[in-house]
Amino acid sequence: MNDGSRREFLKACALIGAAMKLGPFAGQEALAATTGPALSIAHFRSSPVGADAIAAEARRLTQEAVTGLGGMGRFVSKGDVVWIKPNIGWNRVPEQAATTNPDVVATLVSLSYQAGARRVIVSDNSCNPSVACFARSGIQQAAQKAGAECFTMEDRKFRKTSLNGKALPAWKLYGDVLGVNKFINVPIVKHHGLCKATLGMKNLMGVAGGQRNRFHQDLTNTLVDLATFIRPTLVVMDAIRVLTANGPVGGNLADVKRKDTVAAGTDQVAIDAFGATLLGYKPQEIGYVMEGHARRLGTVDFESLKPRRIEVG
Amino acid sequence: MNLPAPVRWLMHFFRPPHAQGLDLRRRSILVAGAAGVGSVLLVRTSAQGEGRTFNPALIRPPGSAPEEEFLSKCIRCGECMKVCPTNAIQPAISEGGIAGLWTPVLKMKLGYCEYECNLCSQVCPTHAIEALALEAKQKIRIGTAFFDRNRCLPYASARTCIVCEEHCPTPKKAIWFEEVQVMKPDGMPTTVKQPRVDPELCVGCGVCENKCPITDQRGVYVSSVGETRNAKNQALLDSGLGYGGE
Amino acid sequence: MARRRVSWQVWLRRIAQAGFAFVFLYVFLQAEYRPINRTGGHVKFFFLLDPLVMISSWLASHQMASGLLLSLVILGLTVLFGRWFCGWMCPFGALHNLITSLRKGTAKEKIATDGYSRWQKANYYLLGAILVAAFMGINLAGWFDPFAFLYRSATLVIYPALNDGAAWIFGRIYQHDPHIGSFKVISISEPVYEFLRRTVLSNAQPYFYGTVLIAVVFIAVVLLNLYRVRFWCRYICPLGALLGVAGKNPLVQIKRKEDACNTCRVCVVDCQGGADPEATERWKPAECFYCWNCQSACPHEALTFSIRVPGGKE
Repeated sequence: MNDGSRREFLKACALIGAAMKLGPFAGQEALAATTGPALSIAHFRSSPVGADAIAAEARRLTQEAVTGLGGMGRFVSKGDVVWIKPNIGWNRVPEQAATTNPDVVATLVSLSYQAGARRVIVSDNSCNPSVACFARSGIQQAAQKAGAECFTMEDRKFRKTSLNGKALPAWKLYGDVLGVNKFINVPIVKHHGLCKATLGMKNLMGVAGGQRNRFHQDLTNTLVDLATFIRPTLVVMDAIRVLTANGPVGGNLADVKRKDTVAAGTDQVAIDAFGATLLGYKPQEIGYVMEGHARRLGTVDFESLKPRRIEVG
Repeated sequence: MNLPAPVRWLMHFFRPPHAQGLDLRRRSILVAGAAGVGSVLLVRTSAQGEGRTFNPALIRPPGSAPEEEFLSKCIRCGECMKVCPTNAIQPAISEGGIAGLWTPVLKMKLGYCEYECNLCSQVCPTHAIEALALEAKQKIRIGTAFFDRNRCLPYASARTCIVCEEHCPTPKKAIWFEEVQVMKPDGMPTTVKQPRVDPELCVGCGVCENKCPITDQRGVYVSSVGETRNAKNQALLDSGLGYGGE
Repeated sequence: MARRRVSWQVWLRRIAQAGFAFVFLYVFLQAEYRPINRTGGHVKFFFLLDPLVMISSWLASHQMASGLLLSLVILGLTVLFGRWFCGWMCPFGALHNLITSLRKGTAKEKIATDGYSRWQKANYYLLGAILVAAFMGINLAGWFDPFAFLYRSATLVIYPALNDGAAWIFGRIYQHDPHIGSFKVISISEPVYEFLRRTVLSNAQPYFYGTVLIAVVFIAVVLLNLYRVRFWCRYICPLGALLGVAGKNPLVQIKRKEDACNTCRVCVVDCQGGADPEATERWKPAECFYCWNCQSACPHEALTFSIRVPGGKE
C-alpha cells in the first residue's frame, strides 16, 4: 500500500470512527498518530529566575516540544476551530503551580493561529469561582493577548452526552467543546491525595459539568471513560513548575519544584506515565494510567515510543 | 433687642414658633425610650446571648468582631452578602437570635469562604467585619470542620472519595487521611482513605462541606467552635488564643 | 385637565434624584468580584454619608469607622439648609416619589390626604427608640435605615430576581434556537446576553434564604405610597427623623405672598414631605423635603423659597 492510498484508508477510518461515536476528535487522533513521533520532551538545562526569564523559558519549551512532534501543522489545519483546555481550576497564581503556566497556553494559541486555525478558544470548568481563577492564573490575560477567545463556562451549556463508558454511560459535557474540530489538553503536573498524581486524563474533568465530585468514587474508570471519549488531538504537559505535595490545590510555595520541562504527545497514557515520573512515582502506581493501558487507549511504557528529547537553554 | 443673625438663628433652634416645631409629646418620647430599653433587655435575656450557649450555625465572616460588638456595629445592609463570590454569606434568621436578624452568617451548603478573598471585610461600612489584609484573614478561623462518619462515604459505605481533602486550601491541608482496610458489601476487603480534620490547621472555610457529594446532608460540616473571634467558643486546650482562664 | 408647566426647580430636583439613583445603582453593581480581590471604597458611598449609621454605630460600640465622618457633611448641610437630602439625594426616597406619582385621584381628594398628619411624629419616636437601644449596645438602626433597607432588598431579592429572569429568557431562546427564515435568533440574543453579563448581570446567580419576608416587606413599603404620599419617608424613616431634628431651623424658608394667595390649597397637592406649605407660619421645616412641588403647582406664583434667618425681621 503506497503512501497515498494509505492516507485515504486512514481518512476513511477516521470518518468511520467519528460516525461510530468514538468521540468527537477520535478521527483526528488516528490521523495524527501515524504521521510523526508520539512523544517529545523539551527540557531547559538551567532554571531561570525572574518572571520574564521564566516566561521566555515557557515559550521556548512549548515551541520546541511541539516542533519535536513535527510542528503544529500536523495537528491544526486551515479553518479549524481549536479548543485549548488548560488547568484553570483554582484561584491561585502561576507561582503556586496549581494552574497551567499562562505562557505555555499563549504559545499554543499563537502556534494554532499560525497553523491556520480560524478560531481558538481557551476555557475550563473551574472549581473555585471561575472569574477569580481565570484572572489570577494569568491565563485569561495571556490567552486574550494572544488573540484567543477566553470565557468562563455557563451552566446552561452543558449537554448530556453518551459516553458508553464502564463507569459513565453518559455525563454532562460542555456543549461548545463538542462542536470544535481540534482539542488540545494542557495539564500541569501535580500531586493528588486520592490518585497520587493529576495529569492529562484528570485534566479532562474540566470538560465535565454536573456533580463531578462523584467521579472520585471510581476515578480509575471515570477518567479513562472520559479520556476514551474525548481523545485529544494533542496533549501538551506543563512541567515547568510541578506541585509535589498538598495537591491539587497547593498553597505552600515549598511544595513547588522546578522541573523546567514541557512534554507534548499524542498518546494520553504514555504522556501521563511520563508525567508521573516527574513527581517520583512509577507509572504503574497510577491507577488510571494502568487502566488506560489495559483498555489499549495507549501504552504505559512511554520509553518504547522512543520520545524525542530536546535539551535547550 | 437686636442680636446678630447667627445668635438669633441658634436661639430659634431651641424656641421655634409653636406651629413650626416638632411638636413631640413628652410622654410619647418616654414611651419610645422605654421601647428601646425594653427591646434591648429582651435581647439580652435570651439564651443565645454572649457566653451562654453557642450556636454551631452562627458562623460569621472572617474579621467579624466578637458578637456583642458585632451586633452593635452591623447595620444589616447586605454589602457583604452582595460581594461574596461564592454566595456563602446569607442573612441570619434565627442563628443570631432576635437581634441578629439579617446579620451575615455563612451557609456552607450554598457557598464557602474562598481562601484568596477578603472582599467582605473591604465593603463593610461600619467595620463590623474589620478590614483585613489577605494574609491576616487566612490565619483567622471562623469555625472547625467535623466529619459525620455515619454519612461520609469511606466510613459509611466503603467507597473512596476525599473530595474534601482535594479542595482543602490551607498551605498544609487541614484534612489528612488514614488508609484503612474495610469490608465491602460483597464481603471482600478493600482499602479506603478515611479523612480526618486537623483542628489546628482548619480555618473553617467550608469548601469541604460545600463540595461533599452527599448533597442533602453533608458528610463533613463546619460548626462555629474554634472561631478566633470568640475566646470562649473553643474546644482545644491549645486553641492558640491564650490560656486566660476562659 | 391639562398638566401645567412644571417649574425649573422641580426639573432640577428630578435630575438630581435620577442622578443619585443612578449613582446608587452604579455602586451597587460595582460590589462584586470583578475580577480581582479588590473593591473601591465607593461601594459603601451612601452608607458613609448616612448620619444615622454613624451615630447609631458609634453610640452602640463606642468606635467609629473613619469613613463615616463623611456623614457629618450631610448633617452639617442639613442643619444649615434643611432636609434637602430627602428630596434630592436619597435613592430610596426617589423610589417612593416615583410610586407616589402613580396615585390616582382628584386634587380635592389629594388635598385631604397630602397635608401634615400627626402620624408624621411616628418616625421621631422610632428614632428615639433606636437611639436608646443603641446607647444600650444593640444597633437596630439597620432594620429601618433607608439605605440598608434598600440595599438589602436589592441584594437579596430584586437583583437575584432580575438575574434569574434574564437567564430564563435568554436560556429559553438558546435552548429552543428559533429561526426566522434562515436567520438564527441566537445570533442576536447571545451577544446581547453576553453584553448584559459583562455589565449589569452578576457572575453567578445568587441564592439567599429568607427572601420571602424581605420581599413582602419591601413590596408592602413600596405599595404604601399609593395610600399616602411617601409613606416610608413621612412615617417610618428614622434617618428622615434625624435629618428633621437637625434641619428644623433651616436658613432656606418658604415665603407666601399674602396678596397673591387665594387659599385655594393646590400647593398641598403632591407636597412630598407633608410640611403644609399653604401657610408660612404653620409650615413645618422639619418635614419639608424642598421638592418645590408647591411652588410649581401654585397657579398664582405665591410661594417662594429664600435664604433668610428665621425668627428675624422679614
